[in-house]
Amino acid sequence: MLALKGNRTTLSTLALALLCGLFGTQGALAGDTSGTMRVGDMQYGNGLDPRGWTPMLYPADPDGMSYLHAGMLRTPTGALYPYPLLIDAGKPVGQGDWTYSGLLEFGYLHVGGDRNAEYFRQYDDWKSGAVLGLFALDFNNRKTGSYVDLRGSRISGDDQFYRLRGGRYGSYRVEGFYRDMPHTVSTSAYPIWNGVGSTDLTLPSSLVAGASTPAQVAAVSAATPRRSIGLTRTRSGLSYEGVLYRNWIGSAAITNEKRTGTRLWGGSMFFNFPFPDNGGVLETVRPIDFRTTDINLSVRNVGKLWHFLATYNGSFFRNHKDHLDFENPFALYNVVGTPQVADIKDGQFSLEPDNDYHNIRLDLSRELKGNGQFTVAGAWGTMRQNAALLPPTACTGTGGIFIAPPVNYTFQCANWNTTAALSRQNANARIDTGLFDARVTFQPAPAFGWHAGLRWYREDDKTRYLAYNPLTGQYGYISENGSQGSVVPGETGIFDPTNPLYWSSNVTVRNNPFGYTDSIFELGSDWQLGRKTSLGVTYTYDHNQPKYRERKRVDDQRIKFDWVSRDVIGATVRLSWEYAKRDGDKYNYDPYAQFFSESLPGFVDPATGLPAHTVADMRKYDLSNRTESKARAIVTYPWGESATLSATFYGNRDNYDALIGRQTTNTTGATVQWDWQPTPATTMNAYLGVEGSRMGISNVGDSDAPDNGAGLGTIGQTNPNLGGPLYPYANQWWEFDRESNRNAGLSFSHDFGRARADISYNYTGSFGHVGYTYASIGALAYRDPAGVAAAEAGFPDNKYRTNTLDLGLSFRVNRNVGVRLYGRYETGAFSDWHYAGLDNTLSYDHRLYTDKGGQLHYSVSLVGVMLNLKL
Amino acid sequence: MTNRTSLLGVFLFGCSMAMGCVAQQPAADAAATPVKLLDQRRMQPISGDAQAGAGKAAVCAACHGAQGVAIAPTFPNLAGQSATYLYAQLKEFHDGQRNDPVMTGQAAALSDADMRDLASYYASLAPKPAGQADASSRGAQLYLAGDPAQGIPPCQGCHGPTGMGPQPHPSSAPQPPWATFPYLRGQSGLYLTKQLGDYRSGMRAGSSNAKVMQGVTQTLGDADVQALSTYLGTL
Repeated sequence: MLALKGNRTTLSTLALALLCGLFGTQGALAGDTSGTMRVGDMQYGNGLDPRGWTPMLYPADPDGMSYLHAGMLRTPTGALYPYPLLIDAGKPVGQGDWTYSGLLEFGYLHVGGDRNAEYFRQYDDWKSGAVLGLFALDFNNRKTGSYVDLRGSRISGDDQFYRLRGGRYGSYRVEGFYRDMPHTVSTSAYPIWNGVGSTDLTLPSSLVAGASTPAQVAAVSAATPRRSIGLTRTRSGLSYEGVLYRNWIGSAAITNEKRTGTRLWGGSMFFNFPFPDNGGVLETVRPIDFRTTDINLSVRNVGKLWHFLATYNGSFFRNHKDHLDFENPFALYNVVGTPQVADIKDGQFSLEPDNDYHNIRLDLSRELKGNGQFTVAGAWGTMRQNAALLPPTACTGTGGIFIAPPVNYTFQCANWNTTAALSRQNANARIDTGLFDARVTFQPAPAFGWHAGLRWYREDDKTRYLAYNPLTGQYGYISENGSQGSVVPGETGIFDPTNPLYWSSNVTVRNNPFGYTDSIFELGSDWQLGRKTSLGVTYTYDHNQPKYRERKRVDDQRIKFDWVSRDVIGATVRLSWEYAKRDGDKYNYDPYAQFFSESLPGFVDPATGLPAHTVADMRKYDLSNRTESKARAIVTYPWGESATLSATFYGNRDNYDALIGRQTTNTTGATVQWDWQPTPATTMNAYLGVEGSRMGISNVGDSDAPDNGAGLGTIGQTNPNLGGPLYPYANQWWEFDRESNRNAGLSFSHDFGRARADISYNYTGSFGHVGYTYASIGALAYRDPAGVAAAEAGFPDNKYRTNTLDLGLSFRVNRNVGVRLYGRYETGAFSDWHYAGLDNTLSYDHRLYTDKGGQLHYSVSLVGVMLNLKL
Repeated sequence: MTNRTSLLGVFLFGCSMAMGCVAQQPAADAAATPVKLLDQRRMQPISGDAQAGAGKAAVCAACHGAQGVAIAPTFPNLAGQSATYLYAQLKEFHDGQRNDPVMTGQAAALSDADMRDLASYYASLAPKPAGQADASSRGAQLYLAGDPAQGIPPCQGCHGPTGMGPQPHPSSAPQPPWATFPYLRGQSGLYLTKQLGDYRSGMRAGSSNAKVMQGVTQTLGDADVQALSTYLGTL
């Protein structure tokens, strides 16, 4: 409610003194656009009020938009503008030109039912207790155009926002803000470790690292109490934008985002699937302790001829917990059955390193003769990180497998668990980017215009790293903290040109500095066909040159047609169709040899030859030849004076020219919406959306044993061709994914005078099916009868559904006091085969999971009573 | 939206004039009861019996002239005026949204049919012949193009380029009640000056159209008002 009346001069004077002391300015109550990213943050809001200022949106002005006409105008495409707010002039502050108005809404919220349901809490920190719905205090000086406004809302200490904004219209604007936003990842997590949230996960006293049995681990897991996994995003910032001198406008902003909490993570100690009892697969919890500081500076000048904009963006990421150590409870056993000499029981992850980003950009534009405009932009950016590198492993003692002299695959951890084992101590990583973008636009006649554009962008990764251990003279890194080489002989992860056991190990020894240069040319024109119809055609040629990829050149040509008519039986109809065709130069299925040890001196080909890198007929989906078509129709029909019916239909089709790889993707969807606002006091909306998508993939399994080919370990392993011994046709399989999503909403609100009712209902539902076929059981990883039977059964469908009903009833007790009753009832159902069975146990042999996934069914309610005071 | 017009507005039509126009009651003593704003946004063009109206217009002629051209510049010319506008004004006088020492009393006794007939009658009369307006004057500039720097909209948008009513483009968008806007060509400059002043001061604010004019007149200075009145009086 904007019409704030009453006599609270004392409060307002105090507040004004405080706020004006900071800025000497005042605030506008009506406009709450969150503004550009130059000043301020994204949309402020929370689960109680996603818009961030809903209590201030009522009542609408009963006189409507204008005294010139009845009803509401529509946008150029036919949608109704909402009724404007009833603006109050506010109350005077002292004897000056300032006025103030304000609102305080607070109360109590009670959460009942399955209050810990994951999808209920995902982005909201609902708790029973006192809440601050909204605090708003605005000051205006209509004479000078100056303003100050303050907003605040608090559901909990992890779910709140506060914002102070001030300035003078047409002159400057300054803003400071603070906000906490929760993000819950899981509410049904059972991590067995101590130290969750730290960099060191240790086992409870009842378990011994590297020496516990699956039964012991299962017992501990079953007794572990439930906890939530998630993080809180805390953002704060200060920003300014204003006139510096004449036509020069500058802006400066600094934003700090701190993310703290936990996230589900991995903890691999090598496979447990093909090697039961040998390895270990863990689901751990990692810490989140990030800080990202963004700095944005800009200066612009709008002259009579030239427009100029210079910007600097800097982003500085800091991770205060840059690694994760964890203890593995399971003993590891090698697959050859010799006595286990390795004692690998700890794992370590290197987490995200500190890094910096800088980007400077210059934009220029000017008018051209012939009703034209020319714009050009250039930018240069660099991303750098030079964090201290962690040792290749954290293991101690001996790793690997000893079979019999001279077949000794053991290694000494001491040679690998210090930074002396690194070829250099810091990452020295750097990616530079460059951009040039030019465009001309001409409108030589009222009914005809054209434009042309040229864009060039390069991303150049200058990082070069060779994984070489000066202590041993070996290359590569110890894989899986030494566990892999302690389970399978020789899979240590290293290449040694002097050791016959390792001189044929083809392991990764260099980073791949992926990069690309992209040039885009665009030519388009628009015709006005009559007073209400237009046609646009745009041709785009995208020439991409990837580095260190399967193709050196990829060309994507696209043509797009847009047709718009604002009078098709009274409706606005927008149609678009586009067709694109992508091809390129010769496809090299293995451009990566230079990053493997096979490229190093001293590498000896295995007796059976090097296994093929992958099947030669594979075409990766981002580089393969492809045709694409997209169509979209949007209809907006003004239904009488106070209603709008709109519908959207769209479809995308992609076909990939690949024997192996992605085959097709398609998406088809539609939305229908009805909006009705017969009077300023009443609004009603209904919405329905459906979308279906499908994806087809073709693949082939490599031959891993004599029963499904003659590949690995034989001469045939060098043959990369589909139909060859390594990739026989019998091992082909095909995946067909289907997804459908549906959502619907209905809302109604009516102002009865002293009371206002709000009702809304929302539904979301999704369905996913992973389907597949295969040429023969040779395509299966498990070809025993149980495995074949499981493959025949297929995957169950994935389903997700929520229903939410919100009810609100607001009473005006008197001019300055109101009461709001609020209720929400939400139900949901969740079924995902990835989590199947985990509600019974999280422990399977040497595999230990932490997250049980979303609740299969839940229902939860929120009720609250809020007091609403006008200040 | 509360209308406090009755507290503020008294329209002076030169009440000391002819005998039929002598004030019959004190002005604006309906002050105590706020009168509801007359919302003209949905008003349709009216119809009436002009012949019958002629028979009821005898008393009006005392001020507004036998052929609808006023006997003195303090009174508005009614000949050729929009019938719907005239009807709306009589209704405002009748219902209290507009007050005048003379007209309030005169309209009080009129039935709705009387008002329609009178409005139709005066609309049917030939308007005052066109004058010799100065097309290069400040008044002409304001009327035809406004003054964007001062936020003054062009008057012709609602009153028509020749002051003989608007010429709207066909559109499916909600339309202003064109018929309720008065024709201004040849209107008395003195009368226009008075009305623009009343809009600006809030004395004439009892209808949605008056609210529009209130906003417009806030942008006008005294010289602008004089320039416009002069231009229109000679148009």
